[in-house]
Amino acid sequence: MAQGVSPAGALKSAPANAGQKIRAILRPLGLLGPPGVWLVLMMVLPTLLIGELSLVPGLRPGQPIEGYGLLNYLRILEPTYLRVLQRSAMFATGTTVLCLVLGFPVAYWLALKAPKRWRNFLLVLFILPLWTSSLLRTYAWITLLRPSGVINLVLSSVGLPTQNLMNTHWAVYIGMTYSFLPYMVLILYASLERLDLRLLEAAADLGANPRLVFWRITVPQTLPGIAAGCLLVFVTSLGDFVVPTLLGGPTSMTISRLIYNQFLGVARNWGFGSALSMVLILMVSMAIALLLKYGDRNPEIYS
Amino acid sequence: MPRRLHRNSPLLSRTSRRRFLQGSAAALAGVGLSNCGRTVGGEAETAPAEADGAVADKASGELRIYTWADYTDDELAKQFTEATGIDVKIDVYDSNETMLAKLQAGGGDSYSLIYPSDYMVTEMIGLGMLTELDKSRLVGLDKMREKWASPVYDSENSHSIPFSWGTTGLLYNSEVLTTPPTDWEYLWDNREILARKMTMLDDVRETMGAVLSSLGYSYNATDPAEIEAAYEKLLDLKPSLASFKSFGWQDELLSGDLLLSMVYSVEGIPVSLENPTFKYVIPESGSSVWTDTIAIPTSAPNVDAAYEWMNFNLQPRVSAETVERLFFATPNGEAMAMISEDLLNNKNLFPPEDLLAKGEGIAPVGEANALYDEYWTKVTSA
Repeated sequence: MAQGVSPAGALKSAPANAGQKIRAILRPLGLLGPPGVWLVLMMVLPTLLIGELSLVPGLRPGQPIEGYGLLNYLRILEPTYLRVLQRSAMFATGTTVLCLVLGFPVAYWLALKAPKRWRNFLLVLFILPLWTSSLLRTYAWITLLRPSGVINLVLSSVGLPTQNLMNTHWAVYIGMTYSFLPYMVLILYASLERLDLRLLEAAADLGANPRLVFWRITVPQTLPGIAAGCLLVFVTSLGDFVVPTLLGGPTSMTISRLIYNQFLGVARNWGFGSALSMVLILMVSMAIALLLKYGDRNPEIYS
Repeated sequence: MPRRLHRNSPLLSRTSRRRFLQGSAAALAGVGLSNCGRTVGGEAETAPAEADGAVADKASGELRIYTWADYTDDELAKQFTEATGIDVKIDVYDSNETMLAKLQAGGGDSYSLIYPSDYMVTEMIGLGMLTELDKSRLVGLDKMREKWASPVYDSENSHSIPFSWGTTGLLYNSEVLTTPPTDWEYLWDNREILARKMTMLDDVRETMGAVLSSLGYSYNATDPAEIEAAYEKLLDLKPSLASFKSFGWQDELLSGDLLLSMVYSVEGIPVSLENPTFKYVIPESGSSVWTDTIAIPTSAPNVDAAYEWMNFNLQPRVSAETVERLFFATPNGEAMAMISEDLLNNKNLFPPEDLLAKGEGIAPVGEANALYDEYWTKVTSA
């Protein structure tokens, strides 16, 4: 900037400035380029393609595209398909709530109460199940939940009535909560670990009882973590295919299963399948938009 | 329509699960590869894309086959390689639709051979995806049993050769169910005993077809009123069903958590042979009689090797040995004489003619597919 004062200096440094400018442009490009190209090729273009196909009513593979219209989207508004969407949203919401209720105490204990030198080890133990395939873990739940399964064996051996949970919606909630709990714990742990303990002490000094401290200090401070964890669990469980298919019983049609049926089932209606995919993408985008809007602001207010 | 996942023994259920994974991966690949232009998945435009690969395959003498799991075991491939010097590579799929989607998306151009089922043969001929066979290059096609000499799905076997066939029926626990099931109606009549202890196939056409058959209609009904009647009847039974399952029912059936499952004969018969408590029965009013074939896609490289493979499998001895190992019925008349007495007398594997005559092959239903899919979504979401 200082060089700009003398005309001679300005002349001399012009090429250097241009070079710097180019470098300033190129450097982020070099960093962002590879993932950018990847995202455009693997995310943006396919999504646009799905968007285009979703506008072709009743498109079947091998047929030429004849005209565009919104019929596929209108069809989603039929009661049958709305019920499928509603069930998917219900499964996802229920799973998110269960994960939060079960995950928060665990993350709290891990981040604040557990002995420091054991923390990382305990955390690894918690993530350990993620090292095996989710399909295998879901099959394991069949062994646990079925009428002659492990859970009923334990129940009957202590004299409690047995439960036939297999092939019910409860089985789906259990299976999905189990699958996605580690994500919730991981994110909440990261959030709770950064908790400013001095604020808790100050609140206690000023006469707040533990319950008040928790609701007024701890929860607001970890709200971004809670929001991020809930979002991740909600989004992944909304698109889950394996758990409802294997554990859900005869009434467990979800949006991801419906999309699968449109592409690989008898109907082979790629147009309708694409429209359903766009709706799923929209639902996920809306969840992310909510996170961006409400997830980050609160901590600034409280800190 | 997720279809058969074949396996040799009920103890091998883990293998079957892995196959489900493979199948799902293949399904994903099929969808992922659908980089289609103006004509979605036009097979014609994708054909030349892998011409280089085709040349390479020819040079190395490699034969790539896309088939059902357990349809070609290592033994068969080994014998073929010994006889002809051609290496065999096998990929598996778990439903006709998965196979079709992959081929339509251009992801199956390296396959010289596919194993479509009857109705899929008709459909693929209509789409122009199967090569018309040069009969002068085939030896032994004239040995087919009468039913398969000129089948409905492909007259004169012009685009496919019949490879195996079987039925769809009920596999049940005979210790608990003392009055044995004989027909589909059994499910409705005994719904109290069977409540949440029975499964039907997660396969629209098979399950809806069975209900249609129990109502006296055709498996291939296209009349909306008939399909709706079947839907109503299935909906009525649904509270008593444990699930719609095409695979993974074995463990639950063996442990007694399920009492009855609707299964494909290739999966049901091995279980019944291994454990006599479990019996397979073909419903009296008629079940679906399916045929799986071998065909050459129009995009196939190394067609010479494909004919070699077809001729190899048309040999009665090879066909008979495959039956003994993999438990499906052969359409090959001469092979019948070489099959062991035990298997030949198995009424489930080779049902008597009158029962077979009542059976029906699942055929393409055209526009009615959308209706089937709609009612299926209703049943599984109501």
